[in-house]
Amino acid sequence: MRDLYKRLGISQTASDAEVAAAIEACQHTALKTEASVVLGVKSRREEYDRLHALLCDIGRLRARLGLTHGQYWLDSAANDFSLAPDNDRSRHDALVSKVTQAVSLHDTFQRWRRYSPWIVAGGFAMIATATVAVGFLAD
Amino acid sequence: MATTRFSPFELLLLKSRNQTDTAALLLLTWVAASKGSLSETDRQRLADMSASMRHGHDCQAILDIGARQDLDAVQLAAEVLQKDRWGTQASPFLRQAIEIAVTEGKLAAATNHILRFLADLLGTSPPQFAQLYLEVIGKPFESPEDPSREAYWQAREHARQQQRSQSEQRQREQQSHHRQRHSQEGTGGSRQGSGRPHGDKTLRALAILGLDAGATRSEIKKAYRRLAQTHHPDRFFALGERDVASASMRFQKIQKAYEYLMQDARSL
Repeated sequence: MRDLYKRLGISQTASDAEVAAAIEACQHTALKTEASVVLGVKSRREEYDRLHALLCDIGRLRARLGLTHGQYWLDSAANDFSLAPDNDRSRHDALVSKVTQAVSLHDTFQRWRRYSPWIVAGGFAMIATATVAVGFLAD
Repeated sequence: MATTRFSPFELLLLKSRNQTDTAALLLLTWVAASKGSLSETDRQRLADMSASMRHGHDCQAILDIGARQDLDAVQLAAEVLQKDRWGTQASPFLRQAIEIAVTEGKLAAATNHILRFLADLLGTSPPQFAQLYLEVIGKPFESPEDPSREAYWQAREHARQQQRSQSEQRQREQQSHHRQRHSQEGTGGSRQGSGRPHGDKTLRALAILGLDAGATRSEIKKAYRRLAQTHHPDRFFALGERDVASASMRFQKIQKAYEYLMQDARSL
């Protein structure tokens, strides 16, 4: 399937009037007739949009998973819906890093909890000495 | 510092006893949901499939996530599945995906694209996948329909019209049947010798060949030979390109009409 929005140079969220204007301004006759047949009718555009959104999703997934040159991705859909591959968005790596972060947070919390009685005691001692000192100075 | 909030699917995956099965179930739900909305029968089928899996958590929760078609969750599931089920181990999962994808022998274009994605994801080549599809469904795996083409919508209109004309014809037949019975009752069983009514298209094709309704097969053949000879584009070669073009248009029209009449069993 071809991305008619891309070929007409408009966004998918364009209003009906914008689509009509873009079709009117289109120089390519074949594209013009096909776009007016598909996007000119409301029910057809809705159905087209549904598949268009899914293909955008699949294009994004393929880019993230490194499948932009899969054997089932060599037709017209591949021409219009392929994105540049980006490998830095692996969800599994993100999940693993999230888990390790949560674990390290838990560990530090545990460590601090072990020392907490001494810290509390030390804090009390500090406050006590401070008040005593203040008392002496006031006298 | 990034947020350490887990998404619902990530939580399920961490709780799961078998991450691969959880991921597979989510992708199957994605396939089912791409047909429109998740129907009750699909839910039931997915629940049946999940009974044989070893994920060890409520499958209803994963169906709800899958029905939302959350792209990040799908990506995570795809990564997990790719890691664990790549290559030769892919076919059981792909079989299930095909079963879920097809309802009443039909495969929607969106679902078709998803199946293609899954085949690529698990390193199954097109011939292998087509074979698998043929085994499961009993029909060849076709390329998805293309609603960005005019032909798709024309074919659709055509199918709708045909359906309408078929039902109309059925009605008409019923009516004529009725009338015949009445007339038989009236006149004591005298039969009318008229054949079936000619369709509009048949009449037009006959007019192109210069014939009236009720022409016999041999008449049609004769008329076609005569017209084809007079309008053959090769005859107009000397007169220039324009005449050749117009002649070939006429010739094609004649040819099409002839072919239609020969195919059409109704016209004698």
